[in-house]
Amino acid sequence: MDEFASRQYPVQEHMVFQRRTWIVQRIGWAILGAVCLAALTGLFGGGILSNRAVEGAAMTIEYERFERATRLAHFGFHFTSTENKERHLHLSRSFQDKFEITSIQPTPLRSVSTADGLGLIFAVAPSVPNQVTIWARPHGYGSVAVEAHADDNPPSNFRVFIYP
Amino acid sequence: MDSVIKAFIVYFVLWAIIRISGRRTLGEMSAFDFILFLIIGGSTQRAITGEDYSLTNALILVSTFVVIEIVLSLLDLGSPAMRRVFEGTPTVLVENGQPMPYRLRRARVTEDNVLETARRLHGLARMEQIRFAILESTGKISIIPESTPSAQDTGRG
Repeated sequence: MDEFASRQYPVQEHMVFQRRTWIVQRIGWAILGAVCLAALTGLFGGGILSNRAVEGAAMTIEYERFERATRLAHFGFHFTSTENKERHLHLSRSFQDKFEITSIQPTPLRSVSTADGLGLIFAVAPSVPNQVTIWARPHGYGSVAVEAHADDNPPSNFRVFIYP
Repeated sequence: MDSVIKAFIVYFVLWAIIRISGRRTLGEMSAFDFILFLIIGGSTQRAITGEDYSLTNALILVSTFVVIEIVLSLLDLGSPAMRRVFEGTPTVLVENGQPMPYRLRRARVTEDNVLETARRLHGLARMEQIRFAILESTGKISIIPESTPSAQDTGRG
């Protein structure tokens, strides 16, 4: 009994095609398994491969390298101490273009939108932590380069990839 | 425009995943498989609609899916090769009472699965009583009993 030969009865078989299908299926299983593993490691956001921190002149920015469209993203800005009564955080235009800010904690005293981007002014007090958290919802997809700087310090750059 | 592109992508990705998962998954759905399919439907539905719950978007999506179905059925009609790609082909798993181990293994069907279908459809108890067991392209197993002179494909699973 030749299992590899195509039968004409009771049904018309196409064993060459069928065997190719089985091979493609097994390759497909490997790809699906790889997707699951990649997701566990954070390749699609929310994991070890995605979590990043960039240290700048006056602040450290915590962010995720991989984000997904419409999934709420979290950006943490940890500032060094300052003698000023106000702290100015500036985010480049690209951030505004790709992210819709839903929440800022603590609430800024005021915000200024300019051609260069978004300026957020926060109160500085011993009772207020040196930390700002921005929750924002990405829209669109692709890579976005963001520039952020605190007060007049040199900017810190980071890049986020947004999956559709 | 977004809705049409999303509908296309989701349709073909889902089609590819279902084809990759193999026919066993489709034909012999258990209660749990059914729940799993509902979850898959729910997950993809949110990805397609996003935050647009408008009637217009729903109409666009439904129209797109129906158009894809019509185009594919026309392609199926015109080309047997396309039909093989989109729907798969039937495979004989048991011939004259003899199970075909390579095919059974590849199709992820056990002899017990074949015997269960034979019992359910024809009241057959032994492998020798099966003339042909065929895994249809729909994923269902058809049984042609040995004793039947003019055997007919049952087509039921």
